[in-house]
Amino acid sequence: MHYNREEAEVILNADGSKPIYVQISEWIETEIMNGHLESDQKVYSQYQLAEMYTINPATAAKGLNLLVDENILYKKRGLGMFVSQMAKEMIVNKRKSQTLKRLVQELVLEAHRLQISEAELMEMIKAEQSEVGNE
Amino acid sequence: MKVIECTGLTKTYLRKPVLNNLTFSIEENTITGLIGRNGAGKTTLLKILAGFIQETSGKVRVFDDGPFNSLFVSANSIFVDDQMIFPPALQLQEILEVAGSFYPNWDMKLAKGLAKYFDFDPKNYHNRLSKGKTSTFNSIIGLAARCPLTILDEPTTGMDEAVRKDFYRALLKDYLAHPRTIMISSHHLNEIEDLLEDVLLIKDGKKHLHLPISELKEWAIGIKGPTEKVLELTNGEELIYENRIGAGTMYAVVKNNFATLEIEKAGLERTPVRASDLCVYLTNDSRGGIDDVFNQC
Repeated sequence: MHYNREEAEVILNADGSKPIYVQISEWIETEIMNGHLESDQKVYSQYQLAEMYTINPATAAKGLNLLVDENILYKKRGLGMFVSQMAKEMIVNKRKSQTLKRLVQELVLEAHRLQISEAELMEMIKAEQSEVGNE
Repeated sequence: MKVIECTGLTKTYLRKPVLNNLTFSIEENTITGLIGRNGAGKTTLLKILAGFIQETSGKVRVFDDGPFNSLFVSANSIFVDDQMIFPPALQLQEILEVAGSFYPNWDMKLAKGLAKYFDFDPKNYHNRLSKGKTSTFNSIIGLAARCPLTILDEPTTGMDEAVRKDFYRALLKDYLAHPRTIMISSHHLNEIEDLLEDVLLIKDGKKHLHLPISELKEWAIGIKGPTEKVLELTNGEELIYENRIGAGTMYAVVKNNFATLEIEKAGLERTPVRASDLCVYLTNDSRGGIDDVFNQC
């Protein structure tokens, strides 16, 4: 387990408006998504996170508990917290139903404000998608 | 376990109340930020907790003892600010040694390590230090003493940005290794908020808010949009802060009682409010801040 302190600070300060414990839980989710943390692997303790990000350990614990509540992490008494078997799927589903839905909502709202037609909007999405697909 | 318990704490100077009927308690091994404007009573409160001055009325318990004239509280607490007085005849290295004989948990290795890192000449004298260096040295004493109750009153006065960052990280690292109850007052909430577990906000000597920092961040929201729509939506709610931008746009801060959807359906923008901004708004006497002065002219 290694980390870069400069990088850690950037991650936390990039969007100061989001509560830190939410940012911590999102960072752990990203670590699971990109394979840095695998199923049944032990995750960072609240004290490790506190030291990594220079935050209060209670804040770090709140971020971890958020993921325990969602069953993305599970607790082993006296041993710490571990990544659930289905963690990746759960994160994907959550992000689909919450984050992506929210982004689409914003997209549609902005298109409405700019008086862009549905067809035009779909065109833009398709163009973007083919660009991502080509990479 | 509660390390500090205050009930109806009042302190008056020349019949003018500085602290007015304060009731709160602080849990063991937490870091609490004491936030308030200039003259709100922060230093008075911290000095009462440290046993430096006596309360006028009400009950104060620190480690279940009245702090004033208590040897037990003195031995288990340290009060750090930029006015700490050390014997002028002693060199800095001698001050560290003498401090070590006062505090049972003193860590000389940490004290010397920090003094070296922050570039102190061991043979220098305390009264020859600059403002920022004085604060840094005093904070080193505060950290190395490892007192079960560590009180830091504006510890970073005069420190430059790099030193402040280093000091906060040193504070957190030592707290993780040796948990203790820490109270820290600062004007710069945005600098210390990451370190805090709780915030105690006082205004005019009264308790205004005492809650976990994570809840403070979600306690209020900002709503921005056309003035009449903002007023319509927030009708009946207390506006914590308002700012009219240009002709028809308004930004209002209210308690977080609104669903996001409700705000968006009204065509308004919902923004989070930074904890430090919220504290400024809450401790302002007027809703429009400094602009009110100019608007009345």
